[in-house]
Amino acid sequence: MKRISISTLMPVSLLLAMAATVTAPAAAPAFSLAWSEYPSWSVFGVAHVYNLIDGREGKLGPIEQKWGVDIVLKEAEYDPCLTMYASGQCDAVCITDMDVLNPALGRPSVVILPTSTSFGADALIVANTIGDIKQLRGKKVYGLQKSVSEYCFVRNLELLGEKESDHLFTNMDPSAAAVAMQQKQAGFDAIVVWNPFVMETLNRRSDVKVLFDSTTIPNEIIDTVAVAQASLDKPRGRQFACAVIDTYYALNERIAAPATRDETLVALGEKFSHLDLAAMRKVVQQTKFYSTPKEGLAVLTGPELRAIMTKVVDFCVKHEITTKAPTVGYGTKAEAKTADLRFDPTYINLVAARKR
Amino acid sequence: MIRRPIQPATALCLGVLSVFLLMSGYAWLSHRQHATNPKDTTIPNWSQLKEGVVSICKADKRGERWLIEDAKATGLRFFLGLGLGLAGSVLLGMLMGCLTPVEAFFYPPLSLLAKVPATAALAVFFVMAGTGTNMYVAMIAFGVLPTLTLTVCLAVKEFPEELHYKAATLGASHWEIIYPIIFSYVLPKLLDAVRLVIGPALVYLIAAEMVVGDVGFGYRIRLQSHRVNMAVVYPYIALLAAFGFGMDYALRWLQRLLCPWFGESRG
Repeated sequence: MKRISISTLMPVSLLLAMAATVTAPAAAPAFSLAWSEYPSWSVFGVAHVYNLIDGREGKLGPIEQKWGVDIVLKEAEYDPCLTMYASGQCDAVCITDMDVLNPALGRPSVVILPTSTSFGADALIVANTIGDIKQLRGKKVYGLQKSVSEYCFVRNLELLGEKESDHLFTNMDPSAAAVAMQQKQAGFDAIVVWNPFVMETLNRRSDVKVLFDSTTIPNEIIDTVAVAQASLDKPRGRQFACAVIDTYYALNERIAAPATRDETLVALGEKFSHLDLAAMRKVVQQTKFYSTPKEGLAVLTGPELRAIMTKVVDFCVKHEITTKAPTVGYGTKAEAKTADLRFDPTYINLVAARKR
Repeated sequence: MIRRPIQPATALCLGVLSVFLLMSGYAWLSHRQHATNPKDTTIPNWSQLKEGVVSICKADKRGERWLIEDAKATGLRFFLGLGLGLAGSVLLGMLMGCLTPVEAFFYPPLSLLAKVPATAALAVFFVMAGTGTNMYVAMIAFGVLPTLTLTVCLAVKEFPEELHYKAATLGASHWEIIYPIIFSYVLPKLLDAVRLVIGPALVYLIAAEMVVGDVGFGYRIRLQSHRVNMAVVYPYIALLAAFGFGMDYALRWLQRLLCPWFGESRG
């Protein structure tokens, strides 16, 4: 299989851009979306490459024209994305259901779109010498504290009936922890990391295994797009939310279609890691995309979400990730007036209705 | 007009005024941000900052005070790293300055390494020195060593020949010329150079702590920025500034104490 890189696509997309991009008319207000490199969020960067949207300010791609808004993409590392969003430097951000709690306390936020859930993308990797979880007691487990890694670890301990206080979750950046394990550094017998580090570590050491991963807690770690309530209230804020959702599902159609699937996956993986097509196929299994409006709505309107968010909020308060629990609401603004954080299916419904 | 002296009281007033302006500038920024969003935590106001400072100083659930734990960890790493780098560079720099073959041998790699930003080589240190205290120490030591060594070496070479001949004529042995004579000549310049590397050394340390630390200033700053808890981040930054300033002041004081002749010659 020939590897199609973004650079070979560049001339094509440039031509397309010249043909399709138009300069934004004054009537299309600009809204910004901060995104970081992650399979279901790179979708927006790739949508720009394929000219579904034009991420530059003042330029409109076809989807932006359809909704009459200008989506401005801001790519950054994950942490700066959160800071940018919290300080009001962007209208929307790609963020997990857990990390959105803090910014929501300061800036009322609406989750308009669940993009994917971790289904094996977060894992506890241990040396083969460790047979079961009991042998991990008192041993250092390295991973990023107060992140989905710690959440995944603690939730799995609960499921296995282990006491959290018997275990030493020690802070380390996942890339550094993965390298330390790959090098067999002394003391690195257990790490909790996310992809691509899970796959890379398993590829590079044959004497380690996954003890447990996020498949035991499906739909609990949710990757989302959150928009500030204040931005939604602006003129055309609603259309902005719809355009973001439309873009997401349009690119998912490219992934679903056999003709464009491989090429799109490779484009998604381009910056994520140097994983090949086969590995990227696995990555998108472990980061399960909510690839249709139906799947997205099932999350936002399903019976599970409330129980899950209660668990997530409890965890965050108990682990001092948030200073206090934000009020979480479900449904439209009228239905959850006082919520700091709201899960709202309205916009997906609007997009789905316009498609039919 | 140019360099005309002013009253000490005026100088003090001007200093106070500039700090006051800085503070009011911040207060204004914070006020503006809170006007757009009353719940903002990115540019905290004074009462939020006070809460932040309290949370740094009070014991957490595990009975640990962040400030104490972080200061201990970061301080240990910093002083070990700087101490090792300093010791190495004095030894190597003196040897290079005094013995031409040693200089010829070490000069090329050191002058190249002096230009490598240690933060760029962060991953190299993780790979070679692990992720324990060793790594921080190695990073600071190797980060400051090339520059300091070259400074010492150049200072030795500047040692006036007439002093060398005078000491030799008065019967000093080779060793006595190196220590105390040349060393005393080099010491004040070395202390100046150390003042200049405090900044870079802190940069290396904080950067490394942000990535692999589980305690320390860099760790706390990264974790709290991730939580958008800037009321903790700003005081930590202020503490780092105070630490750097304190070190600078202490080194100047040390220079005056150990090398009283130096200040006079510099005027």
